[in-house]
Amino acid sequence: MNPRTNNLVLAAAVMLAAAAMCAAATAVAAAPVAPAGMAIIAAGEHRPLFVLPNEPQTVPVAQFALDKLPVTNGEFLDFVRDNPRWRRSAVKRLFADANYLKHWAGDLEPGEAARTNQPVVWVSWFAAKAFAQWKGKRLPTVAEWEYAAAASPRRADGENDPEYQRALRHWYSMPAPAELSRVGAGLPNCFGVFDLHGLVWEWTSDFNSAIITGDARGDTGLDRQLFCGAGSAGAKDTGNFPAFMRYGFRSSLKAPYTVHNLGFRCAKDL
Amino acid sequence: MNAHLPAPRCSVPAALLAIALGLTSCATVSSEKPPCCRELKHSAPIPEQSLYQLDSQWTSDQGRVIRLANLQGQPQVVAMVFTSCEFACPIIVNDMKRIAAGLPPEIRGRVNFTLISFDHERDTPEKLLAFRKRMGLPMAGWTLLRGEADDVRELAALLGVNYRKDARGQYAHSNLITLLNARGEIVAQESGLNIRTEAMVERIAAAAK
Repeated sequence: MNPRTNNLVLAAAVMLAAAAMCAAATAVAAAPVAPAGMAIIAAGEHRPLFVLPNEPQTVPVAQFALDKLPVTNGEFLDFVRDNPRWRRSAVKRLFADANYLKHWAGDLEPGEAARTNQPVVWVSWFAAKAFAQWKGKRLPTVAEWEYAAAASPRRADGENDPEYQRALRHWYSMPAPAELSRVGAGLPNCFGVFDLHGLVWEWTSDFNSAIITGDARGDTGLDRQLFCGAGSAGAKDTGNFPAFMRYGFRSSLKAPYTVHNLGFRCAKDL
Repeated sequence: MNAHLPAPRCSVPAALLAIALGLTSCATVSSEKPPCCRELKHSAPIPEQSLYQLDSQWTSDQGRVIRLANLQGQPQVVAMVFTSCEFACPIIVNDMKRIAAGLPPEIRGRVNFTLISFDHERDTPEKLLAFRKRMGLPMAGWTLLRGEADDVRELAALLGVNYRKDARGQYAHSNLITLLNARGEIVAQESGLNIRTEAMVERIAAAAK
């Protein structure tokens, strides 16, 4: 257990609020019906890793729907079948780098290295966004993704679930496996969402919202916090290494990039 | 063509091309597919890395609706700002004015400066026009644009500009000036405030040849 009292107080408050939230998502009869394959993420609050000076410590997240599973090669195949401009041989370099879908056997053939029930990877932000639009959905924001991903199998505030945090740290410390697991192999979190951790990294709609250099109002203290060795001193939750890793990873991305362990899932307003 | 849009200095075909692009894009809107998935039908090949591949629509401070491809034909010096910005944006604009002032006279009229707003909620064409006046930007050679949230996010992603709205509704953002060549490809970038303009001036002169 974290010995810092302020964290404890905060944890207790979040715990109470969150326990109610995750329960509400499943128990209240008036809750909206989730679109097929999606889970309802009850409204709540996301606590960003870094906040600007004088900003509140939390960001409200409205209720939304989130895909229970990451998008698979099989689903992405349907997308490129229907949309020739997103096929590997046709996509413009502006929208995806040269490694786009590099593990597929062909334009319309995922092949041995990309089975239909594995999450699609080697996709750019533009491709992910186009897929979502084609589905009538959108990508989740960083706040939505992080909020949904904070939930453990038991509670919405998984950050206060030490056992869960240990499991997460273990995954985030492991190199990517040579072969990705199928989607949905692990436990769902309490919202009913699978694979937010432990399978692939995921694109978010505002992945480029991390302000780490040349910020508008010269909050160079934030830059220092992020770049120097004592980086975690300025962040709220010094124990949350996975969150730091995600923050750093997102900050390193550019929209046309494709990566061997970066996929996505879609969200939808309710 | 409105005075605030880049003069089609290079040639009449460039102007025709811009018009044709607009018309072609309109003609494809009838498709039932969302914008992500319509086939791009440009009447002339646009380079793979050109920002003019984007199909998004933007509104100028003159109320004119354009696509970015309408900017092609001359180098563009581009920055993203917002008009209620208290600190960085006036400095970015001032840096661009210093770049303009540093250009050799024979080049100056062959380059356009474009400001694009982060603030899709508050920066109406009227606000942009007021900003133009406040900053003393001439009608010729300066284009001010606003767009929808998704399109702003997409353009920022392509320029490598990070931003987010803070709790007060102000935008924290990268300070970045980008040079696009006449075909819409990124050829140079300068980050920071009160930049040294010499290198950018040289790159612009090369791009305007």
